[in-house]
Amino acid sequence: MGSLAVNLFGKKLKNPVMNASGTLGYGVEVEPLWAVETMGAYVTKGLSAAPHHGNPTPRVWEERCGMLNSIGLQNVGVHRFFSHYFPFFVERRCPVIVNFFGFSEEEYLSCARSIEPHDLVVALEMNLSCPNIKKGGIGFGKEASTVHAIVRSVREVTKIPLIAKLTPEVKNIVEIARAAYEGGADGLTLINTMPAAVVDVKERRVSLKGGFSGPLLKPVALRAVHECSQAVPIPIIGVGGTATFVDPFAMPKIIAELGSWLDASGLADISAIVGAAHG
Amino acid sequence: MDDIPGKITGNDCVTGAYRRLTVGLTRPLGRVSPGQFVMVKVPDRDIFLRRPFSIYDSRGRALTIMYRVVGRGTDALSAAVRGTPLMVLGPLGRGFTPGKGNTPIVVAGGIGYAGVRMLLKRLGDRATLFFGVTGKDELRLADDLKDTRVLASTMDGSSGFAGDVVSLLGRYLDDYRGKRPEVFACGPSGMVKSLKALLEPGRIPCQVSVEERMACGMGLCFGCVVATRDEANPYKRVCKEGPVFSLWDLSL
Repeated sequence: MGSLAVNLFGKKLKNPVMNASGTLGYGVEVEPLWAVETMGAYVTKGLSAAPHHGNPTPRVWEERCGMLNSIGLQNVGVHRFFSHYFPFFVERRCPVIVNFFGFSEEEYLSCARSIEPHDLVVALEMNLSCPNIKKGGIGFGKEASTVHAIVRSVREVTKIPLIAKLTPEVKNIVEIARAAYEGGADGLTLINTMPAAVVDVKERRVSLKGGFSGPLLKPVALRAVHECSQAVPIPIIGVGGTATFVDPFAMPKIIAELGSWLDASGLADISAIVGAAHG
Repeated sequence: MDDIPGKITGNDCVTGAYRRLTVGLTRPLGRVSPGQFVMVKVPDRDIFLRRPFSIYDSRGRALTIMYRVVGRGTDALSAAVRGTPLMVLGPLGRGFTPGKGNTPIVVAGGIGYAGVRMLLKRLGDRATLFFGVTGKDELRLADDLKDTRVLASTMDGSSGFAGDVVSLLGRYLDDYRGKRPEVFACGPSGMVKSLKALLEPGRIPCQVSVEERMACGMGLCFGCVVATRDEANPYKRVCKEGPVFSLWDLSL
């Protein structure tokens, strides 16, 4: 059987398949379903310097071509994650990508600073879709200059490889990708959910505003991956439109199918096709 | 834990929008505690999130749920005929835990009956059901209860007490003085709020089964939370820490 192993920032992952941040809780919830170390790496829920309560309900809504979520970044805080949940991944020898966020530059920095390098911590993944409360709530990820500045600041306070996770809600994602790269990002995750709303026609009101994910997102993400890959020479992790949220059992199936596909294609190594479609 | 494939053996209207679904599973759900739920993969290509339903009955490989048609998922489910394959995941969540030596009072509003029905079967003649519905036709939902005393209220006054079920319970609460009453409830949020107001003076122990829109049903997505009085971490997952909570822990 061909090898699904990939190298990411000098660490070997057994396959290139990971969850999108926030779709697999703190990881321990996966335990009754399948072994978390089946994945190349586990991506944490978005973590912040201080715990965050999140939004009132409704938080999720199914639409015909995907779903909206508005969890509001509920999390126990980065310190509690490392004291309480990280030992589980150490026990399982499961590599971890730590997704984190802030509502101000200080919050990003404080969070990034508090994460110690560890053999199993592959990278920090910066969620750039958050509103900057000091700039009237405009998203950090919206303007190239802001992205450049925040990535550079975070880059200076950690030795751990840094991934910028970009929002698709921008005029030109290639410019944003370039700004992140020039700010010092070691990789990109493309893309976050798209802003969306559900309207209750009967009550004449908006029932839920949130991020849209699901099958519709996949071609949107693929276009972002394709275009950004032409502009920056760093690894890109594609996210969106695969099935974890829909099917908690999808992950082991995806990994097994990827292995079968590799063999059927006569390829010895999955790394051989990384970037193959992007010329 | 994995999806259990099954086939619909019955999907019949009980009254109005209320239906009873029976499923023959390829293997048993296993040990179910009353108040637990299952996630059902509705047999419709356009419905991709599983839908949560209280376990109404589970015997060996036979599973029963009772549901009300309220949206796209239940609408699609109502159209599924006998013999249709579907997938069931469960049992999930934490159910009711009746205290030994307490006198159980069960309060259900409408389809909330489905959430307490297994508990009622388990408690038998020890429990009294206070059952609130809009009109007398809906009392048919509880027709299968043989051993339990049922006190009914209808909003339209067509049968039993005319008014809401919590007002009905209020008339009987004094009878339970000194009998260590313990309340188990499932119903709309308005019912739960007035229940809290009624029970507040004596702080009678009360467990409530909570409903919320769910996506995963397994604690992965944090989509189905309920606000609690835990100030450090107010939002608890209905699917994982619930669906049954102490009424006194909830922030209503």
